[in-house]
Amino acid sequence: MFGWLFNKNTALGAVVDRFAKTPLPAANTGVKQASFLVLDLELTGLNPKKDHIVSIGWVPIRQQEIILSEAKHYLIASPVSVGQSAVYHGLHDHQLKQGEELATVLTTLLSNYAGYVFVAHHSGLDEQFLRTACQRCFGKMPRFKFIDTMKMEWQRLLRQGKVVKHDALKLPNCLKRHGLPDMANHHALEDAYSSALLLLSQLKLGGNNMTLSDLYLLSR
Amino acid sequence: MEVADVINFLADTTPFNQLDNASLSQLAANISVYYHQRQDEVDISSERLLIVRTGIFTLYSDQQQLLTKLQSGDFYGYQQLLTGLTDDDTLLCEEDGLVYWLKADAFHHCRYQYKNVDIFFQRLFSRRLHQYREQQQGSRFTLKISDIVQQRKIAIRPEQSVQDAARLMSEQRVSSLLVEEQDKLVGIITDRDLRNRVLAHALPASTQISQVMTRQPQHIDRHAYLYEAVQQMSQHNIHHLPVMEHGVCCAMLTATDIIRSQQDHPVYLIGEIHRQTSVDGLERCSQQISALALTLSKQQVPAYEAGHIITTITDAITQRLIFLAQQQLGEPPCVFSWLAFGSQARMDQSLNADQDNALLLEKQPQGDIADYFAALADFVCQGLARCGISLCPGNIMASNAELRLSLKGWSGRFARWIATPTPEALLKASIFFDLRVIDGSKGLFNALQEDIFQRTAQAPLFWYHLAQAALQRTAPLGFFKNFILEQDGKHKKGLDLKKRGISLITDLARVYALSVGLHEINTRKRLQQLAAQNVLDSKDSQNLLDAFDLLAQLRWEKHQHDLQQGHDVTNLLDPMEISGLARHQLKDSFAVINEAQSSLKHRFCRDM
Repeated sequence: MFGWLFNKNTALGAVVDRFAKTPLPAANTGVKQASFLVLDLELTGLNPKKDHIVSIGWVPIRQQEIILSEAKHYLIASPVSVGQSAVYHGLHDHQLKQGEELATVLTTLLSNYAGYVFVAHHSGLDEQFLRTACQRCFGKMPRFKFIDTMKMEWQRLLRQGKVVKHDALKLPNCLKRHGLPDMANHHALEDAYSSALLLLSQLKLGGNNMTLSDLYLLSR
Repeated sequence: MEVADVINFLADTTPFNQLDNASLSQLAANISVYYHQRQDEVDISSERLLIVRTGIFTLYSDQQQLLTKLQSGDFYGYQQLLTGLTDDDTLLCEEDGLVYWLKADAFHHCRYQYKNVDIFFQRLFSRRLHQYREQQQGSRFTLKISDIVQQRKIAIRPEQSVQDAARLMSEQRVSSLLVEEQDKLVGIITDRDLRNRVLAHALPASTQISQVMTRQPQHIDRHAYLYEAVQQMSQHNIHHLPVMEHGVCCAMLTATDIIRSQQDHPVYLIGEIHRQTSVDGLERCSQQISALALTLSKQQVPAYEAGHIITTITDAITQRLIFLAQQQLGEPPCVFSWLAFGSQARMDQSLNADQDNALLLEKQPQGDIADYFAALADFVCQGLARCGISLCPGNIMASNAELRLSLKGWSGRFARWIATPTPEALLKASIFFDLRVIDGSKGLFNALQEDIFQRTAQAPLFWYHLAQAALQRTAPLGFFKNFILEQDGKHKKGLDLKKRGISLITDLARVYALSVGLHEINTRKRLQQLAAQNVLDSKDSQNLLDAFDLLAQLRWEKHQHDLQQGHDVTNLLDPMEISGLARHQLKDSFAVINEAQSSLKHRFCRDM
């Protein structure tokens, strides 16, 4: 009965394999040369085991330029009701019925952005959800290399000797601190774009000689 | 997929604000976003359009001269995209900010698709400022009856005699009367009725109006459009229409009113001025000037034509005041010319102009002659002040004894300015070199003007100092946030459109005109004739004309705005209140002025 699903999983598993096999840039690569994919997920809750992805937005950065022609936003056809989470992301069940299959969106993501360093604000959550989603759709869990604009901001503020309140690290507050237009509004693409702006500003502040390994360190 | 912030920003930015949603999305999809930090040098080698989203960027020439500052909504790179030529400019980030890079293909596609976008960038590039105006509503066709009809109801009762009617018409200087019974309109009577229905039939003067009036006349609502009145009059072949408001008659609209309102409204006012028999009457007439100005602006009369009309009205008031003064003081003891200087002379007077006038006398101002003209000048200058043309703070007025001179006196004064010029003296005196006769003897005036032209034609030292005086003031560099950016990098709050723009062009044109003996004094005509005589390059002349027209237009619109708000009319423009387009255009006119000033310096101040 689930044979078709199993076959699909096998075929799609190859996407995961290809993604996993594509090497990431060396850790000593300068940040100017690296390619990033900044993404944001809207979720039904915070538990990757129980909750679901409602929408995904992403925008790539190459040579420190945000490439808007590749900016994407997908609503995900959700198997369950979004429930109370609609309060945050503003998306309702009837919209999500017309959404894309999660597997299709993940396939697009993995096949187009292999070799990219992934970026998110508070990336731990996004990473967990992506991995779980891949496990569900493809039966395989690829490793992503994420850097986290929130942790980078936290490190930056600590180094300035500041006491960092939790609130200070929320995306809108970070944007404000960097003098960037604040349009973060729990819309996956808008938030991904905002995080991308934040990353560009953080990279500038970090100086010209920063490498990817510096970013990984700051994201820990 | 589009990012709302990018779309919203583009939709608010001239010239992309004209694009439809699909084109905006397409534009946004061709944009890359880059973040610059203070002191970054922007890499401008790629052939793309740079759009500043946030932050401040400073543009330097290859000689490290500050050219301009770019801020949100400003562009760079269109120069190269349009011509394929590269500049050696340097663009430095002065305050952290985001820039959008738009791909060349998308830029060109947008230009081909939207003619106005193309025109905008072409103009931005070639500094051709004029004629790019967004579609405007309103024209003379949208005037309403309430815009032109006088709130003046002249009525008579039906049982009164035709002689009463004739008397009332001649007293009130009107050609028709409303006939009312207990405040209700019952008919109208016109001077033609008196001729055709009374005199031609040899009816007695005591005939009752009700016997000869037109009963149940056609009428029109006060809030109807003017063209509806024209239609109604043509249809019924009539020339008089009672105007009704809320069922009550409030005025009479005549065919002449309509003709006047269409083109000759100023002519009408000028006619009124010449009918006045007292300064009080003139003062009442002059109160219509602001209403006239609003009509002119509704009819989209360009600023320079409006300036011409306003000047003509000032001329008329001056002439009538001189007439009234002579009625009071008697015949003048000698021939005289009433002179105007400055904007009145140049025929580009604005609504807030003050007086600049003087008297040229046939004989030496001594004894009775001196007394007579002192009294006349006082009468006229005070009268002008009552009519809204304020007294000159610098006392350049005929009421100042130093400005009531004989031909010899004036000639000597001009000779001193021209033969032994000093910068300080010329700074104050340059206004005297634009002069025109308003009333009195033309011959006397011509003699003075010829004398001046002969002296200025071969006086390089005088040109040098006049040019120096003209270069004393400069235009700002541009705008920076909500301030005016000055050449020394400082910021100012408001822009004086006259002092920092219009006057600079006027001064430039004067130097060139006097140096080649051009008799024209109007700045626009001076520039045109200087180009025709190859004194100025025709492109430079056209650019200066465009800049002059733009500045005059902005001042005219500012004055209209002040009038409508009931404020004092001023030349001070708040950068907050100008549109993105005007900001670009103004910036370019500053650049045109700055360039013209350096040519002037090169031409007249080099060898000294």
